Amino acid sequence: MEGISAQVVFTLFGLPITDTVVSTWVMMAILILAAILMRKFKPEAAEWIIEMINGIVGSVMPEDTRVVKYLPLLGTLALFLTLGNIFSIFPLMVSPTANINTPLAISLVIFFAVHFYGIKEKGFIGYFKDLASPIFIFPLEIVSQVSRTLSLTLRLFGNVLSTDLVVIIVFSLIPFILPIPLAVLGMLTGVLQAYIFTVLASLYIASAVEIETVEEERRALKQEVRPSS
Amino acid sequence: MWQLDSGTIITVITILASSIGIVLGCVVPAFVEGKAVVKALEGIARQPDAANDLRTTLLISMALLESTAIYSLLVILVLLFANPLLDRFFG
Repeated sequence: MEGISAQVVFTLFGLPITDTVVSTWVMMAILILAAILMRKFKPEAAEWIIEMINGIVGSVMPEDTRVVKYLPLLGTLALFLTLGNIFSIFPLMVSPTANINTPLAISLVIFFAVHFYGIKEKGFIGYFKDLASPIFIFPLEIVSQVSRTLSLTLRLFGNVLSTDLVVIIVFSLIPFILPIPLAVLGMLTGVLQAYIFTVLASLYIASAVEIETVEEERRALKQEVRPSS
Repeated sequence: MWQLDSGTIITVITILASSIGIVLGCVVPAFVEGKAVVKALEGIARQPDAANDLRTTLLISMALLESTAIYSLLVILVLLFANPLLDRFFG
């Protein structure tokens, strides 16, 4: 049970601060420090990381989208999740994503970002018109939006929690050498889950933004066909 | 025959149900993921140029398949560690 529920470390002005929050603070400090140091001493490494995230996001978005527009959100997401999923290997720390509140918060950010970018690209009326293009699809579309947020949350939470639990259980049985390969496997799963979360988030944003270009293509195709026929 | 109180019966049934559930929830997605990997590997072997596209699609679909296993794991964790039915008897 200790591995699942968050432990209260100390109380700040009557507000309980759990170990998840403390780990997130440490992680934020590490990320910011790494960014500052990298900018000063090794700019080419930062460039490499940004190129990699750009490639990942660009590989799932349609060809002509400007990926740079969505890179601040999705790149931050990728870095945060990559470090957050493997953060339990550091002593005294827990993975922030092994508590259901963190994945839920990130998924809600994605949920609102999808609609924000969609409305920003197409306007309020146009976005909802595309969302309910045959009108009876609209309830199904709402269900799919909610369930996709839920599945993003539960997938990340369950994967990180299960690998952490396996390490904890094996450690309580044989606290010698054997947990190390399992921890490495957990790190691999964590990085993979961060990749998948980023790819799915960019897919969802692309699907909210993309429909317009398909419509335009269809319109262009119609105009091409009409004069000839 | 046996004089068991209802809390014990519920605990025993919960343990049985969660062990059966975790077995099914592990085995079925593993088989389905194996099918997906076999097909993707056949595709890569036949057409090595398309390996990158296939790998991306394979990873995403594997994650989507894997999430069903994770759902059953979460339900079983709730049953084992935070059983809502036990609170009726030991509230």
